[in-house]
Amino acid sequence: MKKKKLSLTSLITMTLLMCGAVIMIFPFLWMILSSLKTQVEVSMIPPTFLPSNFTLENYIFALKTAPFARYFLNSLLVTIACVVITMFTTILAAFAFSRLKFPGSNIIFSVLIAMMMIPFEMLIITNYTTIAKWGLMDNLIALVIPFTASIFYTYILRNFFLSIPDSLYYSAKVDGSSDWKYLWWVMVPIAKPTIITIALLNTIAAWNSFLWTVLVINSTSNRTLPFGVFAFIAEGGVRYERLMAAATIVVLPMIILFLFARKYIVSGVSKGGIKG
Amino acid sequence: MKVTIKELTKKFGDFTAVDHVSAEFDDGKLIALLGPSGCGKTTMLNMLSGILPSTEGKIFFDDEDVTDLSADKRGVGLVFQNYALYPHMTVLENVCFPLRIRGVPKKERIEKAMKFINLVHIEDYLDRKPAELSGGQQQRVAITRALIKKPKLLLLDEPLSNLDAKLRVEMREEIRRIQKESGVTTIFVTHDQEEASSISDSIMLLKRGVQQQFGTVDDLCDNPVNLFTADFLGTPTINQVHGTWSEKGFVADGQTEIISFNVNIPTGTRLIYASRAEALKLNQDKQFEAEILEKYKVGKDTLVRLKYGNGSLRAYTEDKTIQIGDIVGVGMKDFGVFLFEAESGKRLL
Ligand SMILES: Nc1ncnc2c1ncn2[C@@H]1O[C@H](COP(=O)(O)OP(=O)(O)OP(=O)(O)O)[C@@H](O)[C@H]1O
Ligand SMILES: [Mg+2]
Repeated sequence: MKKKKLSLTSLITMTLLMCGAVIMIFPFLWMILSSLKTQVEVSMIPPTFLPSNFTLENYIFALKTAPFARYFLNSLLVTIACVVITMFTTILAAFAFSRLKFPGSNIIFSVLIAMMMIPFEMLIITNYTTIAKWGLMDNLIALVIPFTASIFYTYILRNFFLSIPDSLYYSAKVDGSSDWKYLWWVMVPIAKPTIITIALLNTIAAWNSFLWTVLVINSTSNRTLPFGVFAFIAEGGVRYERLMAAATIVVLPMIILFLFARKYIVSGVSKGGIKG
Repeated sequence: MKVTIKELTKKFGDFTAVDHVSAEFDDGKLIALLGPSGCGKTTMLNMLSGILPSTEGKIFFDDEDVTDLSADKRGVGLVFQNYALYPHMTVLENVCFPLRIRGVPKKERIEKAMKFINLVHIEDYLDRKPAELSGGQQQRVAITRALIKKPKLLLLDEPLSNLDAKLRVEMREEIRRIQKESGVTTIFVTHDQEEASSISDSIMLLKRGVQQQFGTVDDLCDNPVNLFTADFLGTPTINQVHGTWSEKGFVADGQTEIISFNVNIPTGTRLIYASRAEALKLNQDKQFEAEILEKYKVGKDTLVRLKYGNGSLRAYTEDKTIQIGDIVGVGMKDFGVFLFEAESGKRLL
């Protein structure tokens, strides 16, 4: 009796999860399938699901007309720089706010948290003038500088660091460790799942960054992928199959990254603290 | 290494956790820091390791004043009550960590680690993570990690409290063995007087941050300075009977006979008569009479509980004919009998 009930609930759960998965995946699937169709087939009514004859022409066209390889490289450079620097500053700040006792640490942290409430759009003007003043307009560095620290990630990591027992810190101290070594040899390895999770979130945010990029970048050679796709549409007119091919080029790296990092994302989300 | 503390004090706000404690811990000895929960044992240990700064007083390692030296420079080994093993490292990595911090090359540190690992017998689980070890195994790893840097002083904070009774006895003997083999001056915190008596060279007894007595186990048992010490040490707990001093002797409350003692105490002083169970003899050299309330077999002896005054007394006897309800004469041996002032707990005899 009990067993049957259990399998029934799991059946319902499974069905719901499957529905959810289909709803999530379908747009991506549609995008990829459309990108493999011809112009005629894309606009056919009723629409076909699978392309009747696969064509890579849209990709070839996209790659020929716009320097997507260049965009890709720009996106990659900017994303790596943002993520590496942000992770570094996040780890140091989280350590300072969780472990070090310095005057005003609580006040400073509260102020930082309060600052999280200011939307990024509000900061765009001040950021823009700063970047302009520094003469960094239309420079890839302008895409990195405003994104080298994150209060939100610091907050998440600080909370994790706080859950690490004090005795580990004292133990390391007695073992002769400096704060620096304790941070990198003990705290960071223990927090690895959390750090990987926030690094992934950061990667996605950096990769998809669009508004700021459009504002500070002008030349074609400095465009990142999202901007590149946007320009591609704007310049080439609305041709859905080509648009879908370009969009696929943008999204695919993130999908691949997700597939590889799935294990870490799940463990990072489900493991809030560490066992004592 | 000899450790000397002078007037060591720790205050948390208005609260004094350790109150002007002075002592010398001789080289190569195992000293037990004993006292009830909350008496300042951990605080004292943390000051010795450098984790907590002291409010007042000085700490010397041999002749060097280390009071202001930070924890990472004192070179002591510390085993925490919860072991504090690094959860992401294997047993071997945990043990090697202090050497890794000093920049000892990997091959060399593993070589050094193996020597201690063989001493402590943890060679079978070097690749496991701490979460995959039992409490006793974790403890041995923690001790190895503390020993590997060849500390001049080893500090153990209630290392056995998480273990079951049998393992606790095994492990304390093991700690004694390791301590003797390595010859390191060791301070062992415990609130269990039996544990302290069984392994230490000397015991420091604390109460609310104040040192009560510091000496060998025998000193503390046979020559307690106050009622607290007499009460804290010894199994079974020392017998206590309340009463008053009248002329030549002690009169228990609700009793008329005078138990005479050869001391000078003002008449009318409120007293506590205390005697160890081993110090009483039944039906010999009778000094007072008491009724048998209970009797138990303890090994080959019989332990009886006697009603006397408003309290009760425990005593050992070899006499098998004694029955519950008998009135027996009680005599005293020439050790293990004390008189304490009731109010202050000060020893008068
Ligand atoms: N950081 C602190 N702030 C305020 N009071 C403290 C602090 N640490 C300890 N105390 C107090 O100091 C006293 C001694 O604490 P300590 O931890 O040294 O006791 P202990 O003898 O180790 O007890 P236990 O056997 O329970 O471990 C306690 O009353 C405790 O409440
Ligand atoms: Mg303690």
